[in-house]
Amino acid sequence: MISQTAIKHLQEKLGEKNVLHEKEDLLVLGYDSTPGVHHLPEVVVYPTSTEQVLAAMEIAAREGLPLVPRGSGTGLSGGSVPVRGGMVLTLTRMNRILEIDEENLTATVEPGVITLDLFNAVAAKGLFYPPDPGSQKISTIGGNVAENAGGLRGLKYGVTRDYVMGLKGILPDRSLITTGGKSVKDVAGYGFKDLLVGSEGTLGIITEVTVKLVPPPRDKRTFLAYFNDVRTAGEAVSRIIAARIIPSTMEIMDRETINCVEDYVKIGLPRQMAALLLIEVDGHPAPVAEEAAEVRRVLEQVKAAEIHVAETAEQAASLAAARRTALSALARVSPTTLLEDATVPRSRLAETFGEIERLAAKFKLKVGTFGHAGDGNLHPTVLCDERNHDEMARAHAFYNELYEKVLDWGGTVSGEHGIGLAKKEYLARQIGAGGVRVMKRIKQSFDPEGLLNPGKIFEDHDPEAEQHLEEGFRVSH
Amino acid sequence: MSHTDSLGNFRPKDAPDYEDVLQCMRCGFCLPTCPTYALTGRERSSPRGRVALARAVAEKKLEFTGAVKEEAFFCLDCRACTTACPSGVKAGEVMEVCRSQSHDFYPLGAIGKTFREFILQRMLVSPDLLEHAMLPTRLYQRLGLQWLVRHLGVLKLGPGWMAKAEGMLPSLEKPLRSQLPEVIPAQGEKRGRVGFFLGCVMTLLYPQVSRQTVRVLAHQGYEVVTPRATKCCGAPHLSEGDRQTARELALFNLELFLAQDVDWIVTDCAGCGAALKEYEEILAEDADHHRLALFRAKVRDISEFLAAEGLRTEGLREVRRAVTYHEPCHLCHAQGISSQPRQLLKSVPGLELREMAESSWCCGSAATWGLKYSEESRQVLDRKLQNVAATQAEILVTANPGCHLQLAWGVRQADMPQEVRHLMEILGEAIPD
Repeated sequence: MISQTAIKHLQEKLGEKNVLHEKEDLLVLGYDSTPGVHHLPEVVVYPTSTEQVLAAMEIAAREGLPLVPRGSGTGLSGGSVPVRGGMVLTLTRMNRILEIDEENLTATVEPGVITLDLFNAVAAKGLFYPPDPGSQKISTIGGNVAENAGGLRGLKYGVTRDYVMGLKGILPDRSLITTGGKSVKDVAGYGFKDLLVGSEGTLGIITEVTVKLVPPPRDKRTFLAYFNDVRTAGEAVSRIIAARIIPSTMEIMDRETINCVEDYVKIGLPRQMAALLLIEVDGHPAPVAEEAAEVRRVLEQVKAAEIHVAETAEQAASLAAARRTALSALARVSPTTLLEDATVPRSRLAETFGEIERLAAKFKLKVGTFGHAGDGNLHPTVLCDERNHDEMARAHAFYNELYEKVLDWGGTVSGEHGIGLAKKEYLARQIGAGGVRVMKRIKQSFDPEGLLNPGKIFEDHDPEAEQHLEEGFRVSH
Repeated sequence: MSHTDSLGNFRPKDAPDYEDVLQCMRCGFCLPTCPTYALTGRERSSPRGRVALARAVAEKKLEFTGAVKEEAFFCLDCRACTTACPSGVKAGEVMEVCRSQSHDFYPLGAIGKTFREFILQRMLVSPDLLEHAMLPTRLYQRLGLQWLVRHLGVLKLGPGWMAKAEGMLPSLEKPLRSQLPEVIPAQGEKRGRVGFFLGCVMTLLYPQVSRQTVRVLAHQGYEVVTPRATKCCGAPHLSEGDRQTARELALFNLELFLAQDVDWIVTDCAGCGAALKEYEEILAEDADHHRLALFRAKVRDISEFLAAEGLRTEGLREVRRAVTYHEPCHLCHAQGISSQPRQLLKSVPGLELREMAESSWCCGSAATWGLKYSEESRQVLDRKLQNVAATQAEILVTANPGCHLQLAWGVRQADMPQEVRHLMEILGEAIPD
């Protein structure tokens, strides 16, 4: 239990309104967006400066409280769930855009800046910040960096890691660290920056981020194509890439998702179709026109059942509407939505869909799949009810077998959601015992006291410490 | 929806439906749409947090504590989160139910109870009494007084509330209800028979709005029936957590309007419209489902109605003004009506519509919320007024009396030049005498 003295110290250092410890506040800061994982912290702090982060860390270390950094809590792998209690450190009140440097094409921000706010701020200056996680309206840059968030534009523009140029933060030994910066080239020593990106709050607390900006694409073409079978859709993806075209977006939805979307918004989607591809090419007008013609040719060649091309921005938006509605449409079907993150080399796309279909039938589950076809990152989504323990067990068995296959095919257990709590077991299978040992040693060298976000990524399951996790299920068990 | 056995620490009567709460996947998409989360940055003052609190109570992980009650009443019930929610969770409605529960857990003292019952169960259910009381005492002061008494024990009044309540009141005319003929004939080729649902606040505070509404309807070819017996729609009762009286009112109005043999039931008050459309849910266990469906199929907001039927524009006068449109929460979020008011504005010859940023962001009125939380309300309003000012429009158009009061007050306070008008006043101006 946190002592009253510690709470008093926190209040002195951070101000009373930035230290919450009533049960109601603890209850609502013990979750993120991952179903079934919930654990109460003992205290929640909202630092507003690097000094306050440091002060909170010192008090946590002194009190022996695990410390879990957090943004808006949109994570999908349980990364910010305080499984061993302790202190949750919420960075949403450090939300200033410190600088947009038009000469160096960089922006420097505090970690609590909302992703879309950064996007809009740089767009107002004619610049482009490409990473676009699905939760961009509320997720924070700090959270994006810690989870190495992806998004719909990942295929052409990459993920958060590809835009982080510099970080400032505090390491568990309370030393301030600066790694990277505005220099485009920087090979001085070990790449700490890249280690911190995607470290899921286990290695340090990020207090400032410098990101790379790029000129926005000047033109864009949008296609929506339907297919009678998923194999053909997969073939279209492979052939477009083989034609040396990298679309900015290449999104897929399966039959189940198409039908759920149609049930929900009734926009006239053809229910009998097996798959839908949303494809966008962008860039300078001349090559975009050329690439669009080529995309069209490929779609015709593989005999897509229907091909729609947007002539105007409004049409493009309406074509994209179906894909954008996918999650909502699926989420409404059942009380519990298990949104997973299986990722395969894109040549395996069609096979993965086949496998998902086979396993859904085998385990008698309703599964809708959508995702980023261009980078092989799929979101098979099991629609279930967490009160039905039998169904939950089948859902776990489904993911177990699916991930087995994904790993056999050289895929990864997470394309963009991270490992967190939900996929620790799978990670061990993916990187092997040696990989886990090295990761543990890295963690050990950064955080010998085990202060930061314990119980995540690769740490062994600790039944005693985690016994208070919400009843029902954990994705990986 | 079925009632499960998972009521947990809620009282069985009028408990939130556990299914509704379980549906929340905690994705956080509601957070950027929530005015109270924007104010406090505190998770428990967000829709996701509030639903999690309700879930914790339902799962017996939390008692129905003072903080739960506080959050239920701190929610503006603006429904912006409902629009944003991928899973279709209605956090606002869950909080309405929690307000009702809170009266069980935290009964008012004798004086507070008497006042609450007097306002909700005597005055608001009796149009005559309401209109008589209005003349000497004025509705908003009454509601303010009620609030004062109810919270006497924990008196932390911002000193401004009384001045605000006073300052909000427009100069009062005679209530419209007794002046409106019960049947107004259609002009030109008759297009149908409309039952007009006259709201309490409209008849008391903005009679000129409804006067224009019935004028527009008649001009558009509708015979307008305004039953004089119409009672309050029940929205204030739902908002204050008095579900029983809301049900009685709903049942009364339902039967009254179904007896009128009208093709549609139209209102010019977004709050009334939202309440009428929710009669199905309020009365789910009390009324004949066929009659409920029949009633619901007829209810329209005036802008929804006119846009769908098609406005007769021949002979409309020019209105050479630049306007901007504030979307009432109970129109855009509760009823999903967003394009129709704009469509009508655009069909007025000469009128220029200048879109403001965040047009569907709440104005901070929210029934008595704006008086209970006057400082917070001011902050929500300021954000709105900045967006209004940026358009440099001459007229600020809205479609709900609560927003109207708050915006008109805010514009005056900020010394801004905009007039505040109901959409129907603008349309009325375009219609020749």
